[in-house]
Amino acid sequence: MLDATGLMVFYENMLALNNVSIRCGENQIVGVFGANSAGKSTLMYTLSGIMEDIRRKEEMAGGERISVLGRINYLGEEIMDLKPAKRAKKGIVLCPERRRIFKECNVVENLRIGGYLASAGQAKKTIEYIFKIFPALEKLQKRIGGFLSGGEQQMLAIGRALMAQPKLLLLDEPLLGLSPLMQAVLVRTTKEIREQKGISIIVTEQYARPVLPIVDYAFILENGAAVLEGGRDELMNNPDVRSAYFGI
Amino acid sequence: MDILIEILIYGSIHSITLALMALGFALVYGTSRVPNFAHGALYIICGFIAWSFLKKWGVNYYLSIVLSIMVIGLIGALIYQFILIRVRGMAISEIIASYAIGLAILEGLRWGGFKGMTYTLPTFIQGTIFIAGVPVDLHRIVVLICGAALVGFLWVFTHFTRIGLALRGMAQDERAALMLGIDSDRMAVVAMAFGSMLAGLAAALLLPLGNIVVETGYNVLILAIAVCIVGGLGSWMGAVLAALLIGFAQILTEVYLGTHFKSVIALLAIIVTLILRPSGLFGRQKELEERV
Repeated sequence: MLDATGLMVFYENMLALNNVSIRCGENQIVGVFGANSAGKSTLMYTLSGIMEDIRRKEEMAGGERISVLGRINYLGEEIMDLKPAKRAKKGIVLCPERRRIFKECNVVENLRIGGYLASAGQAKKTIEYIFKIFPALEKLQKRIGGFLSGGEQQMLAIGRALMAQPKLLLLDEPLLGLSPLMQAVLVRTTKEIREQKGISIIVTEQYARPVLPIVDYAFILENGAAVLEGGRDELMNNPDVRSAYFGI
Repeated sequence: MDILIEILIYGSIHSITLALMALGFALVYGTSRVPNFAHGALYIICGFIAWSFLKKWGVNYYLSIVLSIMVIGLIGALIYQFILIRVRGMAISEIIASYAIGLAILEGLRWGGFKGMTYTLPTFIQGTIFIAGVPVDLHRIVVLICGAALVGFLWVFTHFTRIGLALRGMAQDERAALMLGIDSDRMAVVAMAFGSMLAGLAAALLLPLGNIVVETGYNVLILAIAVCIVGGLGSWMGAVLAALLIGFAQILTEVYLGTHFKSVIALLAIIVTLILRPSGLFGRQKELEERV
């Protein structure tokens, strides 16, 4: 479904992504694991096209010189030159790190802003679906986004991304800063979304243990380069991976 | 007692006038973060376009108003698409660029011979009614009703329509909006066109009450900025409340201190707000964000 090859991102002369290639098949959950500053968010920004937007704005303001290289093939089409809004329309939707929900809008408004690309019928159905998988949100419909707890905000962010009718959902560190209980809920729901909606998912995390049981395939990033990849079981049995990313 | 009713009536009318002037500015800033300093110029140019349609080409009055508002929306969109988009995200450059455009338009109009007291638009309805013994001309009642309707319309627009919600999302977090497929450049053009149309609408409603003169453009800009700063930049609900505050303050000074103190109030409001509450009456959450 998605096949990105040779992705390179430079901030001035600093190499943020070094020749990373990543694939995601139809209806798969793919994990991307790596420590802080390994390049996970840069990779997500590059896939969703936000990097291109950042580059353009920096160039306009005379700021950092950013270069983005590589190819991204999505559903048989080269999308490297497409603007982020176009990529979202084609079904690549990013649910960003630190959630970035609209803090001054209430829960329903956040969802409806997310439904910008959806038709009225799709939006209505998706909102019902979101309240079904996240019953906690249904009770908070009129609550202002900025007053939600971290876990509620993350549920809202995932729901908002679903509103854009994704085919490929990019989840950037969805478990960051959440309690183990909330993490378990989100991991379970992520799996449900894949099964019920048939959406492919790429999920990044620093700490692989909570997510690894649901991923089909995973890549490990280190200093901007993909150093290791493999199926779930293969990685679980690799002693290096076990010590570095599972803390076993 | 009479004076109280007079203050109440004229205060409301004046407040709505200020709100009309400020809403376009507040909307553009609130959604695309572009401080549109050409706002006053767009306001005046709309008056001249309507005048040209009406007097030069003999178009029906109401039709010429609708046409001029559409033209002004187009002008706003073009200004954004070809000039302001290049300085997007650089606050100082945006102010300089838009102010320069405004200056060019206003002084260009003056240079082109649009000056003096000869340019006027007729009122919508002639006549005067008495409300509790206070004479009010009917056109001012029309302004009052249209202004209130516009505030209501804007509320519905930003809370229930797809475009309005997308604009609000973009104002809060442009990058997050991009991720959801909201094309921020195109939305900013929409916002600018819409804001210009609001300036045009304000002009169509308010200019029949006086002459169309270039200087009004500068006054409108200053009043709009005063209202927006007091209300909290970008919060158009704040702008409406600030318009009420400044409107009544101005009418009260006019009655008790004299007409020439009236314009001092708007400028004083800017200074007091910047000293006491830099983010304005409704900039609370922003202020919190800045501190974090």
